[in-house]
Amino acid sequence: MIRAAVISSGVEGIESYFLSNAKVNYEVVEVTKNFNPDFSDIDLLIVPNGSDHIAMSKIKDKIRKFLDQGKSLFCFDGWFTDWIPGNQWVMSNEKKTIDIRYNIKTDKYNLFDGVDLNELIFYHGISGWWACGYIENAKNADVILEDTWHRPIIVLDENTTNGTILLTASAPLGDKEAIPVDNEASCSALSKLYHNILDLILKKKEHENHRTLI
Amino acid sequence: MKTIGLLFNGVWSHYTFATAPKYRDIIKLIYVHDFDKDAIKGLKALIIPFQSNQKAIVQHKTTIYNFLAEGHKVFVEGDSTMDWIDAKWEDRPVNNYWWVKDPKNPPISETDFSHPIYNGLTPRHSCWHTHGSYTSMPSSAKAIQKKPDGEIISWETNQYGGTLFATTLDPIVEHGVQQITHLDNYVDKLIYWLSGDKVSGNFEVPKANYGIAVL
Repeated sequence: MIRAAVISSGVEGIESYFLSNAKVNYEVVEVTKNFNPDFSDIDLLIVPNGSDHIAMSKIKDKIRKFLDQGKSLFCFDGWFTDWIPGNQWVMSNEKKTIDIRYNIKTDKYNLFDGVDLNELIFYHGISGWWACGYIENAKNADVILEDTWHRPIIVLDENTTNGTILLTASAPLGDKEAIPVDNEASCSALSKLYHNILDLILKKKEHENHRTLI
Repeated sequence: MKTIGLLFNGVWSHYTFATAPKYRDIIKLIYVHDFDKDAIKGLKALIIPFQSNQKAIVQHKTTIYNFLAEGHKVFVEGDSTMDWIDAKWEDRPVNNYWWVKDPKNPPISETDFSHPIYNGLTPRHSCWHTHGSYTSMPSSAKAIQKKPDGEIISWETNQYGGTLFATTLDPIVEHGVQQITHLDNYVDKLIYWLSGDKVSGNFEVPKANYGIAVL
């Protein structure tokens, strides 16, 4: 089982974004004035949409150490501060949302298996609803999903640190409540993608446990 | 001179809004965990945006009401239960596609266009989408915007000294998100109402604003 911490910046409803199940147990970690969380018993750190990136930046050394221990980070938000090793999110209004389309670029773990890409692109016929801006990815990171102008939207970085970093350009992922839509198809596509990513982390953890045993 | 405080939850849309060249000389970012009476000293108004840390804000209820008692303005984007306000907010589905599916029926049907924020705005500029409804408001408050079913979207009261304005619209956050291109109209009127500062021009955020270090 994955032991995951979900960062909460006091925005209502976060407890329903990520629901514990047989493969993952979530613990909500609140940002407070003297934010200094202990991640020693955690395998996966999740930074959802609407997070406090001032607080995250203040613990960036701790996060780097956490990743260098082989652990995992998901960030589904726009990190305007510099706390994620090697990768930077940037917002831009240069391109029109009506022109936004997504393409799968490098998906070596088949994270998009069973995911209808059109449900990420269109919501009630409107495109560009899911992600915001783009990611300037680290040199050796995989761009899993890119937009019309080849700007990275989902990045998987297994090289900058000893751990695994999965980033979206401020595009929400999680269980149903984490996704602000009333369209069941979009909800299920994004939940499916999220659970495929979780399965990857679970496989990596099981592989690591097996390697330790032998 | 900075005249308006924005209670900042470390969220990216708060940051992009307040650091955009168009507004940065007027808006003071006040990190919610550093909020106290000294942080708002000398300001004319305070903005409490969508995606705020309500648990942290409720600890500063007295500071906010003292600021109002001094005759200042407080503008609140209501998107959740707020234990520091005498009004009841309830969640509702967000309809942000009405303008494609049913453009003649926007989520807001009544707006008091005599209010200084709305005076001169078109109906389209005064409504994009809403995040829930107010099902009650303070005893002396007046409704400024309502839905077709009568639920309250925006209200205002002077019963605490200054002016407390609350709405389930999210002009600050959506302007920071930069995907609704007409929001300069609403936000520029809002800024003028809050502080008397006139702003004009387009909203842009320089790329150099991203990737900052926090000391």
